[in-house]
Amino acid sequence: MSAPLVEIDNLNVRFHGPRTVHAVNGVSLRLEAGETLGILGESGSGKSVTLKTLLRLLPENRTEIGGSVRVDGVDILSLDGRALADHRGGVASMIFQDPMLALDPVYNIGEQIAEAVMRHEGCDKAAGWARALDMLTRVRIPSPERRLKAYPHEMSGGMRQRAMIALALACRPKLLLADEPTTALDATVQIQILLLLRELQREFGMGMIFVTHDIGVAVEVSDRVAVMYAGEIVESGSVRDLIRDARHPYTKGLLAANLHGAVKGARLQAIPGAPPALDGVPAACSFAPRCPVKLESCDLARPPVAEPAPGRSVRCVRAG
Amino acid sequence: MSAPTSARTLSPAADASALTAGPLLSINGLTKHFPLKGGLFGQSRGVVRAVDGINFDVAEGETLGIVGESGCGKSTTARLLVDLISPDSGSVILGGRTLGVDLTVRDLRRQVQMVFQDSYASLNPRLTMQDAIAFGPMVNGMARDKAVALARDLLARVGLDPGRFAGRYPHELSGGQRQRVNIARALAFSPKIVVLDEAVSALDKSVEAQVLNLLADLKAELGLTYIFISHDLNVVRYMSDRVMVMYLGQVAEIGPVDALYAAPAHPYSQALLAAMPSMDPDRRTMEAPLAGDPPNPINPPSGCRFHTRCRQADGVCSVTVPVLHALPQKGHLASCHLHIPGSGHTGAAPRRELAP
Repeated sequence: MSAPLVEIDNLNVRFHGPRTVHAVNGVSLRLEAGETLGILGESGSGKSVTLKTLLRLLPENRTEIGGSVRVDGVDILSLDGRALADHRGGVASMIFQDPMLALDPVYNIGEQIAEAVMRHEGCDKAAGWARALDMLTRVRIPSPERRLKAYPHEMSGGMRQRAMIALALACRPKLLLADEPTTALDATVQIQILLLLRELQREFGMGMIFVTHDIGVAVEVSDRVAVMYAGEIVESGSVRDLIRDARHPYTKGLLAANLHGAVKGARLQAIPGAPPALDGVPAACSFAPRCPVKLESCDLARPPVAEPAPGRSVRCVRAG
Repeated sequence: MSAPTSARTLSPAADASALTAGPLLSINGLTKHFPLKGGLFGQSRGVVRAVDGINFDVAEGETLGIVGESGCGKSTTARLLVDLISPDSGSVILGGRTLGVDLTVRDLRRQVQMVFQDSYASLNPRLTMQDAIAFGPMVNGMARDKAVALARDLLARVGLDPGRFAGRYPHELSGGQRQRVNIARALAFSPKIVVLDEAVSALDKSVEAQVLNLLADLKAELGLTYIFISHDLNVVRYMSDRVMVMYLGQVAEIGPVDALYAAPAHPYSQALLAAMPSMDPDRRTMEAPLAGDPPNPINPPSGCRFHTRCRQADGVCSVTVPVLHALPQKGHLASCHLHIPGSGHTGAAPRRELAP
């Protein structure tokens, strides 16, 4: 294992418009081949924006991206035209919360998967359809031969999610990007999809970045977890470290707010206030206004990233 | 604020006895089928059996949690409770008085209020927060200055400084703040029951905890009764005294929260609880408790509606509809042949002779 599969260094993303939004502020992360990283955060924390940067899915004309993003040794930010199209779906692939937006409503599932395979691998139609059948079998869609001819609207929610996963993995990408793929699903279907993703990830040996707002989901799929707040990674480490020994006050607050094992009748340790507007580059700790243990210095300068143990990082002055 | 005059005040004695003797709210055989329109002349192509003959009681001062997956009928139940839609059959009895017989919709809605999931869609975008809260009382005859004073008082009560928030419009508030306003508005009539239909589900976790604390405070202060609908089993466990599990328009199981979470009796409740993420990286879920999606409520399975996904299904399950049956723990009921003695299920106990 020489170079990591994903290498993001000091990523900054700004959206220009009536006001400039500083969506991602100095994010650095690594992902080894075959590893699963969960990115945990609330709405507006920059987790989906970070993920979309890896496929360059953000609107070109309004977005300013700084820093460096490399996937499998290739500089993503300089990709263009055909090279970018090769990257999308070939090297890295993405699954979304809403499969109806990812799947084309006027083509059946078989045609959609076969087309992607033919485009990326230059094979003929028969081989494309054979791959489509193979993929539907692998994602455990019952009677896959019949489902090849099905249109997205003819399938149930869980089945569509499986079809989208089949499409994303058809060209054997090295990296799977998952953007809240189970959030809209019922509990009993969600766990099926999480187990399926875990299995396919092992089977294909791919790296996976899984974005979610649900700690429980992150624990089920991730090896490592990065917690994002206001466009920054505030804490990262192995999933065990984070669950058993969270160091950042925000991570601790999130764990308490999950209510897992909360005592009935006892008041919840709620984090007061709301996340900040992302109007400028953070000059201080973004979490300081809501932090129960903040120091004077927290309002003055951005806290440095501390490394309390190998493989762990915490952006908090108290973490040292 | 003055209590709205209603038929209730005409017979205080009957009212008081109803409150002490029976449950505050009683639901009997409530059914709602939505016709599916289609075809050339819009003739009916069948019905969605959204809610199919459910019974439950809610005692004064308790919180009843309702859980289940999409299509199980929990939101339809909520809408039936405040008569946003009318039931096909069955009755809603509040404080001993039956809706449509000796209880008008107007009286029902004064006493049963609702908070919805979408905090933005719930508010008129052209009304300030103060006007949005004052609107209901004014329509019901309260003078404007009194209604506004009430609105400002309620804003303060839900943790929003009236000086800062009274004049704001919905788009100027965050999701958590808007939901606080919706809660304030629901309280404007001093209701007895508040139905919370996924009221915290759209909020971020850190904000959700704040609103849950607020709900707990309000309940203690005002002696409210909650019907708390959510798909989040952790939240329901924290909030509820009793829990009702619904599946495809019917009640699968109902019981005290601790008993039901510790020992769920219905195989569906067991699967639902087992499907919760484990929160322990060393003990991850290794097997999905159920395969496939919930069936379509248009053509629900025969007999027990869960039998198509149930691992313990037996011959009788596809033929006979199980009824809610009392379990040893008081107040704990499940509708599963496995727990009905003599039901014909091979796992069920033999029928006992009725004790004298």
